Amino acid sequence: MLTRLDRKIIRVISQELPLEERPFKLLAAKIGIGEKMLLERVRFYKKNDILRKYAVALNHLKVGFRYNAMAAWNMPAKYVQEAGAIMASFPQVSHCYERKRGKDWNYNLYAMIHTRSKRGCLEAARAIAKKTDCKDYQLLFSTYEYKKSAAQL
Amino acid sequence: MNRLNALDKRILNRLQEDIEFVATPWKAMAGDLGIAEQLLLERIKALKKKGIIRRISATFNTLKIGFASTLVAVKAAPSKVDQVAQRINAYKEVTHNYKRNARYNLWFTLVAKDKHSISRIIKQIKQDQTIDQLLDLPATKLFKIDVKFPL
Repeated sequence: MLTRLDRKIIRVISQELPLEERPFKLLAAKIGIGEKMLLERVRFYKKNDILRKYAVALNHLKVGFRYNAMAAWNMPAKYVQEAGAIMASFPQVSHCYERKRGKDWNYNLYAMIHTRSKRGCLEAARAIAKKTDCKDYQLLFSTYEYKKSAAQL
Repeated sequence: MNRLNALDKRILNRLQEDIEFVATPWKAMAGDLGIAEQLLLERIKALKKKGIIRRISATFNTLKIGFASTLVAVKAAPSKVDQVAQRINAYKEVTHNYKRNARYNLWFTLVAKDKHSISRIIKQIKQDQTIDQLLDLPATKLFKIDVKFPL
């Protein structure tokens, strides 16, 4: 279980890593612990899959990945496991989840596709359709980004 | 689109992997890249200024730290979709919010400290008269989270 101190650490390291020689020393001071202890906790979180990634978040539009589409699939339950693994194997797919179906929205498997061209999104979706042998899907292109931020933990 | 030089691309590719969990991670990274730490930090600052780098920070497995999350789809009148989106944005628990070309035209993700908070926010948003219908689509299985843009 995570302690109150862990929660504090998690909140602080969810914020910017300082661009200074000893960034963890600065963050540790904010938390009120030593640099060594902070590094130990970070390694522990990583090892236990609590920390997913300690890395950059890019503005994908500004690095040329201008198209993103959410592909929603109506996948028979018995194929979900296999199809999810196939979707996950595509480098263009950043997120893939099985989700509850909606009342008038009969889709249960979702893949977020990021590409440099619109054609790239269409082709990735088509390739997935072929590999999973599932033609019942919708490709929802994002036409405006209202918000993209880190979760406030 | 911004022009990125070869060094910037190498730096950005490296930054998309975990930093090293050592006292001097920038020095370690600069060593990997074969450049001076000062140059690395300068380039990162410049890339931040241009808005190419949003942030460098830790991201967590929200489930493992006890948080709840969901994906929500909303049908909003096309003429009102901007207004509805702004009202939804006001919640700090809303992390992503996109207009999409579908009958459900607004899609957002919620991350909150527990399931109860999620239900409460959805209930509040549902009261918006300009929203026709709303779908709460919580994940039941995760197959992949790995956001990477090879440059």
